[in-house]
Amino acid sequence: MAESSMANARYTYVHHVNKGPLQAMDMHHIVVRKSGVKGFIVYLSVLLLTTNGFFLFLLKDKTITVLFWSLLLSAFLVKLFLRKPVQKVSVIIFPGFGVQLETQYGSGRTIRHFVPIGKILKPVLNECVTPVTCYWSLSLIIRGDEELMLVFKELHPPVKMLVPIWKALCAATDSLESADSIT
Amino acid sequence: MPNTMGDRTKHRILMVSDFFYPNFGGVENHIYYLSQCLLKLGHKVVVMTHSYGNRFGVRYMTGGLKVYYVPWKPFLMQNTLPTIYGTLPIIRTILIREKISLVHGHQAFSTLCHEALMHARTMGYKVVFTDHSLYGFADVGSIHMNKVLQFTLAGVSQAICVSHTSKENTVLRSGLPPEKVFVIPNAVDTAMFKPAPERLSSNEIVIVVISRLVYRKGADLLVEVIPEVCSLYPNVRFIVGGDGPKRVRLEEMREKHSLQDRVEMLGAVPHAKVQSVLISGHIFLNSSLTEAFCIAILEAASCGLLTVSTRVGGVPEVLPDDMIVLAEPDPIDMVQAIKKAITILPQIDPQAMHLRMKNLYSWHDVAKRTEIVYDRALKCSNQNLLERLSRYLTCGAWAGKLFCLVMIIDFLLWHLLQLWQPAVDIEEVPDIILPHCQHGEMSWDCNEDQSLR
Repeated sequence: MAESSMANARYTYVHHVNKGPLQAMDMHHIVVRKSGVKGFIVYLSVLLLTTNGFFLFLLKDKTITVLFWSLLLSAFLVKLFLRKPVQKVSVIIFPGFGVQLETQYGSGRTIRHFVPIGKILKPVLNECVTPVTCYWSLSLIIRGDEELMLVFKELHPPVKMLVPIWKALCAATDSLESADSIT
Repeated sequence: MPNTMGDRTKHRILMVSDFFYPNFGGVENHIYYLSQCLLKLGHKVVVMTHSYGNRFGVRYMTGGLKVYYVPWKPFLMQNTLPTIYGTLPIIRTILIREKISLVHGHQAFSTLCHEALMHARTMGYKVVFTDHSLYGFADVGSIHMNKVLQFTLAGVSQAICVSHTSKENTVLRSGLPPEKVFVIPNAVDTAMFKPAPERLSSNEIVIVVISRLVYRKGADLLVEVIPEVCSLYPNVRFIVGGDGPKRVRLEEMREKHSLQDRVEMLGAVPHAKVQSVLISGHIFLNSSLTEAFCIAILEAASCGLLTVSTRVGGVPEVLPDDMIVLAEPDPIDMVQAIKKAITILPQIDPQAMHLRMKNLYSWHDVAKRTEIVYDRALKCSNQNLLERLSRYLTCGAWAGKLFCLVMIIDFLLWHLLQLWQPAVDIEEVPDIILPHCQHGEMSWDCNEDQSLR
């Protein structure tokens, strides 16, 4: 079992190659890293908001709506910044069979989606533009589908992590000419 | 930092404007052709504009020109909503990921252009601004526009205008030192605008008008000029291309004077079909009431048409005297100019005119001259925030203080963004180079960025 990995502040990339008795399995994992600083700032903000709400309600004789709104805002902050629905996304390549995309959530729930190798026309690396930022995304052109299938729907891993997955997908789908242009 | 190619500096330019393809117009053409020629000169050019319908994201155009269609919806007259700070994150991202060395904004109407130049100055980039239009001084809209322009140009390294009249107008409106403003006229794609292979018959004289049928383009003048010319010359026919609110007046004029067989109304003409309309005529008529340059005149002259135009703005600077007949924006004077044009028409050789245009107006020449402006801009000294704030304070008693406040907030937001997403976290993109042997095929050039290997 060969293994390689790389990491940045937000994501860790792990690559496993399973040399099984029947078929080799090529596994690529993108694991979301927890941000301690971010968590600390959010919890501090929540603490200040809640304390302030209780202070105004108990000592300054303000209405309960002040406390209600501060609790609501605190809950919103926690949900917005600390909800980590996706913990890990795995791209498992079964040479000759297909590609399985696995998304593991914080709750423990795992969603699996299998794409047969014959349906994949080409894996592509795209530049995506939003109103506030740009990022790279890895997509699959699926036979008969009008839209691209995103490999990482909710994560935006850096391109240095996407390239080895893209190359592996190119090799598995015989799109080697596109992989050669980048090496 | 820009690297050198031979003895020339290789620039990495970000062109910013709300006006770009798939829209068609003078500004759009200017940005496209200038970018193409700068790419040929070895510079890296990236265009940033807002989304057009379902066209958003990154697109590549001819020659590997990269265009960012940022998903901001147009708000008014193809302009994005002025948010002042809303565009800072995306502009910062593009500047870092494309390793930009210089930002070039186009058109004073463009909200995106003003915001991009402001943010680029905050981040310490050199900025160049090109003004493509003339503005008034008295009405409320012009006063507001001039104040915004004064704010934007207070921070620019160099400015470009398309005519000497435009330069004078810009200097008066913005208070920019004249030595900072360069005049680089527009050009024409002579390969696209060629005259008819065979000379047209002189039995019938065809006068072509192609413009938006709006007040500014002098549509009301046409309403008075066309019937007069038709009554004087029975062998004259008009072809009117274009659409707009004044089209109704032209239709009414045609009905009133029973000129249905002599005035052909084409409606909106797609840019690709402009040449085929132009080559069906002998004379091109431009009735604009204000014009900084007027590319339409160049296109007509390149097709071998003799031009009759109003003497407004930068129009007298556009063509040599023997290629154009000028008139005051007055119906009587315009009729006289058309009379004069008809008399000198036999002396006009469309092919010779086209060849002269080819030598006089080339986008390559425009790019070479713009390159000099870029070199000058990069030689400008780097100013810190306090030095720049003193420039903004001179913009007016109240406006100056407001501009300073805007810039201070922008500076603070930029530093906040640097904490939130450090520059090292923004991935630089590899350059795409087009091999000369395989046109249209793109390959990665990873010499500068090894991260993809």
